[in-house]
Amino acid sequence: MPRLIRRLILFIGFVLLLPAAGLAEESYRFDISEIEKKPYHFGGYVELRPVAYGLDRDSALYKLQYYDQNRGATLEEWNARLQLEGSYQKGMGRLYLKTNTDYRYASFTGGVERTALFEGYGTLKPSDSWKFEIGKKNLKWGKGYAWNPVNFLDRAKDPNDPEQSIEGNIMATMDYIRSFDGPLKTLSFTPVLFPVYDHMNDGFGVNNRLNVGGKVYLLLYDTDLDLIYVVDGSRTARMGMDFSRNITTSFEIHGELAHIRDDRKQVLDADGVVHSETRDAVSGLIGVRHLTTFDLTTIFEYYHNGTGFSADAMENYFGFIERGYELYRTTGSARMLTGAQNLAAGGYGRNNPMEDYLYLRLSQKEPLDILYFTPSLTTMVNLNDRSYSITPELLYTGITNLELRLRFGWIRGGRETEFGEKPNDYRLELRAGYYF
Amino acid sequence: MRKMKWIIVFLSLLIALPVYAIDGTALLKQVDRNLSPDSYESYRKLINIEPDGKKKEFTLFTVKKGIDKVASLFIAPASEKGRSTLRLGDNMWLFIPNVGKPIRITSLQSVVGGVFNNADILQLDYAAEYDVEKVEEKGGEYLLYVKAKTKTVAYDRLKIWADKKNVLPTKIECLTEANMLIKTLYFKEVKSFGGGITRPAVIETDSPLYKGYKSVMIFAGIKKRDFKDEVFTLTFMPNLESLR
Repeated sequence: MPRLIRRLILFIGFVLLLPAAGLAEESYRFDISEIEKKPYHFGGYVELRPVAYGLDRDSALYKLQYYDQNRGATLEEWNARLQLEGSYQKGMGRLYLKTNTDYRYASFTGGVERTALFEGYGTLKPSDSWKFEIGKKNLKWGKGYAWNPVNFLDRAKDPNDPEQSIEGNIMATMDYIRSFDGPLKTLSFTPVLFPVYDHMNDGFGVNNRLNVGGKVYLLLYDTDLDLIYVVDGSRTARMGMDFSRNITTSFEIHGELAHIRDDRKQVLDADGVVHSETRDAVSGLIGVRHLTTFDLTTIFEYYHNGTGFSADAMENYFGFIERGYELYRTTGSARMLTGAQNLAAGGYGRNNPMEDYLYLRLSQKEPLDILYFTPSLTTMVNLNDRSYSITPELLYTGITNLELRLRFGWIRGGRETEFGEKPNDYRLELRAGYYF
Repeated sequence: MRKMKWIIVFLSLLIALPVYAIDGTALLKQVDRNLSPDSYESYRKLINIEPDGKKKEFTLFTVKKGIDKVASLFIAPASEKGRSTLRLGDNMWLFIPNVGKPIRITSLQSVVGGVFNNADILQLDYAAEYDVEKVEEKGGEYLLYVKAKTKTVAYDRLKIWADKKNVLPTKIECLTEANMLIKTLYFKEVKSFGGGITRPAVIETDSPLYKGYKSVMIFAGIKKRDFKDEVFTLTFMPNLESLR
């Protein structure tokens, strides 16, 4: 562990000092070439992210993940990411591509690389009121910061890193915008066609369906309002609404409400038997964002996940893993653990699988007059089992195009709780990202 | 003698009249129009300068329509490229391509850091946000004392020094309700941008709240242009690049 910390400190020093040497020579310019528009654009982002995990060898998810391996108390991981993007615009048409390559090297699993097309779509924009797009893209519906229960057609974002870019889905969309004078200032309509076939969004739900959805956006009495609907198809029908409004110049309130018809999930009972439950589910989120006069931003959200598991269901799941681990230790049979891994893929293993959560993020901009420096503190609490995580973070963006973030995640909770049964007790992570 | 009295009265009126004839509201509106057309596009560079001389630059493409609609697109640096901001009256949003959806921001925050806040970057007409309380004449300049129309405006009070000849601001002090200085804007390098637009090309700002720091806004181009209202909507924010 001390060795990794030494390496992290050396790495931070290296990335901080290297660009600073160049800055001393930098001088101000404003060439007209800087604002010339070219029909094409290339850019990208490269990231190095070493992580040290302090493992909890007694936790259920540690046993599930590493039951057949003898691990130490820590896990060192080196992550690298390369994103390349390019676009070409001609007249009313535009093509956009964004690729993502992730490479992960863990101290005992070796290296794994994955490359994917995150986004790739064509846009046709015949006027300022009309836009048509087809290809792989994200919709990003919803107003919540950590969670978006109304974001029915995208992949779920990671609430621990909600601003991370995510892989899109293949779809066709249209935007129609109208502006008005009076209380209703804007009206826009976004219908979506979302195909699910072999090799096309095939992990989304039932295959061979052309899903139809849409969103209506209103700016009404200075309030953003979205009304969202997705018809029955690969997933059951669902509808939702969200809103966002500034109460004062420094206080914003937002919320989301989603109704999912006939939501189906696999639930484990106390005897380890899997039942299929089908019922209508209602999920919701309410949140505020506040800025003080001394630049402290607070984001506070409550999330009810109507499709989540109760505390009893999660306890049954963790108990099932413990029994499976004992079975493996005594007989060498991984049958139950394999079953538990399948259940994880079916819902128990997703981010925040339970019902009620609180999220609080405090970030202080430029304390002590240190420009571009933002320390933050984020906490997420599972209200059903009282487990939680606390994540202090230091962010520095003072060097053009370079972003440095150091964060420590402290994960706490008793046995048979969501955070208490995570495979690690803490994580220390440095992220150095460079845009070009 | 009577004739003489009338001449004195007449001359006094002539001297006194210009002082009382200054219509503060009209003067403020003229300052606004001289700074920019009613509807325009512009390119700006914002530079934050730290006490040790380190600089950070941002290049923006900005479009404005009427008194309460303004939108900006970040062109550089690469880390900010594609970000856009929109202001409709008191409502402000920031669109970050990775986040993918516009989030509401406040006028006192700053999307670029440094001394300029969002209200400075997405500046509406002064006359749209402030009422003129009084106007004084100081040599070759007017001094306008203006007060925010509502509590939602970023600064409670402004003191605007405007050059009499060009009716353009030379200095603006931004104050709290209690007349505490928040920042000072200095308007420099008046030049012609073509199309009849002559205005300061550089705005510098410093603040007692950020001792030693300075931010500079440089205009590279500004020209009159009309836009449809639909351009100033959340749905359009990811598409501002198409206007360039």
